[in-house]
Amino acid sequence: KEMDEIVAEFIKRTILKIPMAEMMTILKAWDFLSESQLQTINFRKRKESLVHDLVMLCEEKHANVNDAALLDIIYTQFHRHQKVWDVFQMTKEPGEDIDLFDMKQFKSSFKKILQRALKNVSVTFKDAEENAVWIRIAWGTQCKKPNQYKPTYVVYYSQTPYAFISSSRLRSSIPLLGQALTVASKHHRIVKMDFRSRYLDSLKAIVFKQYNQTFETHNATTPLQERNLGLDINLDSRIIHENIIEKDRVQRVTQEIFGDYPQPRLEFAQYKLETKFKSDLNRGILAERKEPLRCLVKFSSPNLLEALKSLAPAGIADAPLSPLLTCIPQKRMNYFKIKDK
Amino acid sequence: MGASTRRDCGTREQRIFSNHQRLTLMTATIAPPWSGAPTHLLYHPAAANAHHVPHTPPGGVLAHLERLEAESRKKFEEPQGAESALGNKIRNLRSLRDKLRAEVNRRQAGVEASVESDQTFEVSEQEVLERKRENVKSILQAYRFTGLSGKLTSRGVCVSISTAFEGNLLDSYFVDLVIQKPLRIHHHSIPVFIPLEEIAAKYLQSNIQHFLFSLCEYLNAYSGRKYQADQLQSDFAAFLAGPLQRNSLCNLLSFTYKAEPSGQSFPFCARLLYKDITRTLPTDVTVTYQGTDALSTSWEEQRASHENLFCTKPLHQVFASFARREEKLDMNLLY
Repeated sequence: KEMDEIVAEFIKRTILKIPMAEMMTILKAWDFLSESQLQTINFRKRKESLVHDLVMLCEEKHANVNDAALLDIIYTQFHRHQKVWDVFQMTKEPGEDIDLFDMKQFKSSFKKILQRALKNVSVTFKDAEENAVWIRIAWGTQCKKPNQYKPTYVVYYSQTPYAFISSSRLRSSIPLLGQALTVASKHHRIVKMDFRSRYLDSLKAIVFKQYNQTFETHNATTPLQERNLGLDINLDSRIIHENIIEKDRVQRVTQEIFGDYPQPRLEFAQYKLETKFKSDLNRGILAERKEPLRCLVKFSSPNLLEALKSLAPAGIADAPLSPLLTCIPQKRMNYFKIKDK
Repeated sequence: MGASTRRDCGTREQRIFSNHQRLTLMTATIAPPWSGAPTHLLYHPAAANAHHVPHTPPGGVLAHLERLEAESRKKFEEPQGAESALGNKIRNLRSLRDKLRAEVNRRQAGVEASVESDQTFEVSEQEVLERKRENVKSILQAYRFTGLSGKLTSRGVCVSISTAFEGNLLDSYFVDLVIQKPLRIHHHSIPVFIPLEEIAAKYLQSNIQHFLFSLCEYLNAYSGRKYQADQLQSDFAAFLAGPLQRNSLCNLLSFTYKAEPSGQSFPFCARLLYKDITRTLPTDVTVTYQGTDALSTSWEEQRASHENLFCTKPLHQVFASFARREEKLDMNLLY
């Protein structure tokens, strides 16, 4: 069977995306082309001709759409930050039996549900560490073949109620996807959490409450890390800091709230306010209104939680910070709607 | 432009002028430090009269000279007497000093002697306390072998759950509790698939002991099941005809195996379900034969006995018994 033109084009475009530095690693992880085949390739060529050679090799091996989809999954695993991930939470009915999760059953059930609903859909699975599975879904319609260039990714950790789904413009596909996940994993309901980020690993660390893993025990071989919030404290004893009592208090409060561990990486928090405008001035255009003032406040940072942690020690904000900011990891939310009580 | 510079010059000049003023003032009031005696810049006639300038004495010059001689004799004699008196005084003071020194030395020696004996006493007491402290520390560290131990923290207690199976010490898990009303979990290392929230909802507020024991039960059972699956994959891989299928909780295991890897035995498929996740043995076992022909009675007996074995013995022990049977068969073949 000749390799489909569509598949060839798909493989070509996927390999073109891969940076040269990662080419060998990704091809080896794909494990489709053999060692001997890879050795015949001259990786010093210009990328376009290298890609052409690789596509030829894939043709020799009769790569199909599933093989191409696997390569796409591996590329996405290496570049997971290029997608924005939503977090979904599933619930069971109370009193349900213990989940005897069978990966084979899950995969077949998931695929069947999607294929029964849509004539044209391609589903690919790749097992990952910690009994998780990466699922790639390419959506088609009754008439059109699946569009391989706008897939949705699902990362599901088995025997947990959480799934991470890449944001897509195809909003219509989400309910069906949710249903397939819920039924295949033997849950009853699925709800989208107000939690979104590019950093999949941070979302997982926060949702699974794995971001603080330092514990005080009698057997600790490594001493507790010194409380160093990264401030340049002058060690010259001839220089005494003004307000050292206040500085110590701020450090202590910050350490209690944020801990000693590196903060999981998030890039924004968004607050939708629907509150009445409050002003110190007795008069003002906005002060007299009965309706709430609608506004959106968005905090952005390369590392939002580390930035929040450094606010009070830097003197920019009072300690303790507003609980609206510090509750992000505990509440597993970074989208807030605030209304007057 | 011109006007402003002039103004600037003026102010500069002013500043310099005022400095000068200050300097001159200083020199007027304070004497230069290098002068020894107080200097008088001006010669004052009133001061000159006191003692320094002589005037004509009464009784003539001779009488004056006699007076001076008498004075000098007196001054010569006085020191003699004074000298002896002063000498006595010096001698007395010296002897007093020596006596005091001797007393001080005596007392010092006494104090040192007593301090030394105190110190030696303190050192040995310190050693004893150190040894006691090390001992207590070791006991606290050894508590982990009981499976449940803890350490007080600034906000509550950090509980350590050390799991074990068949005498093998396995993974440890931690729960950091904040002692407040209500009691709450600050952070933990419990895997996400263990129903911690359920257990906490039931027992954490009402009966902390029950909470901890229940959590211990779940974790030890999980550790034990995981240990059995790991052992099967590592030590008895030769018996498996395909990969071992398992899940996070290790409560569903599915594999194809041969009881005699070298022999002609049929491969059996085993499916072990652990519906009670507080136990390390399965609740449901099905062993099936993957062939098309019907099994002979002997093989059917074996299949049934395997099912029973998997239900009653830990997984790796079942395979260990298969291995022993293999050895016995090999031994028999030798003879």
